[in-house]
Amino acid sequence: MAEHYQPSGRSEVIPQIDRRRFLQAGLVATGTVIGAPILQSSMAAAAAPAAATNTSSDQIPRRILGKTGEQVSIIGLGGYHLGTMQSLDDAVRLVQEAVDAGVTFFDNAWEYNDHRSEEWMGRALQGRRDKVFLMTKVCTHGRDKNVAMQQLEESLKRLRTDHLDLWQIHEVIYENDPDLHFAKGGVIEALDEAKKQGKVRFVGFTGHKNPSIHLKMLAHNYPFDTVQMPLNCFDGTYRSFEQQVLPELERRGIAALGMKSLGGDGQPILHGVVGPEEALRYAMSLPVATTISGMDSLSVLHQNLAIARDFKPMTAQEMQRLRDRCKSFAADGHLELYKSTKRYDGGVGREQHGYPPPEQLPL
Amino acid sequence: MKTTRRDFLKVGATIAGVASSVSAAREAVFAAASTAEALPSTTTKGDMLYRNLGHTGAQVSALGVGGHHLGDLSNVDDAIRLVHEAIDAGVTFFDNCWEYYNGKTENILGRALKGRRNKVFLMTKVCTHGRSGELALQMLDESLRRLQTDHLDLWQIHGIVYDNDPELAYAKGGVLEAFDRAKKEGKTRFVGFTGHKDPAFHLKMLELGYPFDSVQMPLNPFDASFHSFEKQVLPEVNRRGMAPLGMKSMGGTAWAIKAGVVKGEELLRYAMSLPVATTICGMDSLDVLHQNLSVVRGFTPMTDGEMEALRLRCAATAADGRYEPYKVSLRYDNPITRLPHGFPVDETQREVKEMLEKGDAPWLAP
Repeated sequence: MAEHYQPSGRSEVIPQIDRRRFLQAGLVATGTVIGAPILQSSMAAAAAPAAATNTSSDQIPRRILGKTGEQVSIIGLGGYHLGTMQSLDDAVRLVQEAVDAGVTFFDNAWEYNDHRSEEWMGRALQGRRDKVFLMTKVCTHGRDKNVAMQQLEESLKRLRTDHLDLWQIHEVIYENDPDLHFAKGGVIEALDEAKKQGKVRFVGFTGHKNPSIHLKMLAHNYPFDTVQMPLNCFDGTYRSFEQQVLPELERRGIAALGMKSLGGDGQPILHGVVGPEEALRYAMSLPVATTISGMDSLSVLHQNLAIARDFKPMTAQEMQRLRDRCKSFAADGHLELYKSTKRYDGGVGREQHGYPPPEQLPL
Repeated sequence: MKTTRRDFLKVGATIAGVASSVSAAREAVFAAASTAEALPSTTTKGDMLYRNLGHTGAQVSALGVGGHHLGDLSNVDDAIRLVHEAIDAGVTFFDNCWEYYNGKTENILGRALKGRRNKVFLMTKVCTHGRSGELALQMLDESLRRLQTDHLDLWQIHGIVYDNDPELAYAKGGVLEAFDRAKKEGKTRFVGFTGHKDPAFHLKMLELGYPFDSVQMPLNPFDASFHSFEKQVLPEVNRRGMAPLGMKSMGGTAWAIKAGVVKGEELLRYAMSLPVATTICGMDSLDVLHQNLSVVRGFTPMTDGEMEALRLRCAATAADGRYEPYKVSLRYDNPITRLPHGFPVDETQREVKEMLEKGDAPWLAP
């Protein structure tokens, strides 16, 4: 038998934990995170984020969204987690509290939770549509422009609006995705048409897998307004979007949208490697327009709001120290499962790419 | 929807059934001028081919019996019968690993090899996964006990599959120090490493300079155009005079065969046509063994043109990794491979299910 095996205590058996649990765990580990003294320094993070406005103490700061001229809140509300909440009422309350607190950036995707995420967000935004910057994502995963345009109509209907502020190609994570998207008659042509029809103002793409795939998308020189990617203190030293993609976006004036600031499933926080406040602060200190955060309870929302309101960028030194501290944990990818496993690869994309569904190939 | 190796070989059987009856001349040496890189020096005895194992001076059968699938058979007697039949057919290369099914497959092979140890070239793998050389030596003694022998022919580091594995293997006090000691003590003749994930990790292992005798890797026509071991690692291993060992000739699953993209027989022929010492195949039934033996019996290397045509046929579906799940998912990372690295265990994996059923799952230990 395996008598020599020394359990590291770092492993977890699926199914995964929920985000609420790790945030609570993280809070215990880090103690009184809110209101901790934050160093003021002239060594503000490299390429400081586009000027924050709206800095009065009870407001959520905003930043410029690349070259679009728009401003968005530095924290964005992730659509996936909204659709995992207990009820429509809970989701509506969460969205409305976020809007009232000054969150303007709202994320979603055509495929999240069998469309419930868009449905619920649409219901919650009734009467508040003009207060938010609304994004959703198109999920062709290699299929043609017509599929994309049909999904756009469905997204608009579910979101109860006549236009999106931002429409992004979802989950560019398979190595041949860039080729498929840019193929004649592909989704890129749908982005052009949707803009022409006034149904979307800006366009972009997202993905969580590998910086090289993002760079392949950018190499086509299409005028994307935004690019979304995982950004956190582990990514900084492992297959790094921060190192490889972020500078390229700055060079092109494309707005960077951060996600997975807590490593996707909060494992780093559960294991006490980082606290939620420093993890989120790190992500927000990068040159990004916003950091999209999944929130499935009011307590998570409140915690994020407090961090965002108090936000002062980490210094370059603080960021380096945090990357150094995380480096040995980051090195094998077990804290960024979206890069190293199949766990975060959605069912619709798998089907288009000939992969088994999540229940048959969870990791 | 569990596919087994048996399923896809059945599909392939229709073709391979007409195995060539051209019985190769005894002791014939293949003229390998047609392949891009020369095949290792090859001899034929009976129906079996034997190739040089790099610069070691040893020769091994061109077909190897994979250890993991011995644990997939429903009972031990069937597994033992399979090993005996393979040996009788001239197979000498036997693969195994300390961690497969918590030691079950080493135990099976040990029982099967009683009285036959000197007829085979016995390999097993060590599973420190970044931990110490001392642990490696404990695992070695345990492998020897289970395999009922006093020495291995080949001992390999199992599963170089995570980005920091090379660095950890080369760390002071790590597994490579155990290699030196085991060789000196005569507990193993040769050493090597294995992995199925990324050619970059293999290249890192080679660059760091340890004099390995063998390097094991996935080789098939899908690999050829997706993070390719064939393109990136195989030439480097041969340049260094080490022995390449092929595995996953079918892509690890029957998915491509079931989808009608390729046939099992042509996949095995492709893999064997590459300049490797042996191709290790998992076999979980006598049918599969017979099937593989028939491919070996009729074997002539594919021409460059045939190989290129097959690669082209596979290229479109190779491009997103769908038929090489070992490169893009954790499915082929054994539970005990994952644990020291902190990766989650997957209860849909057959091996994990069996460990849970037996109450023998180390990750649940208090």
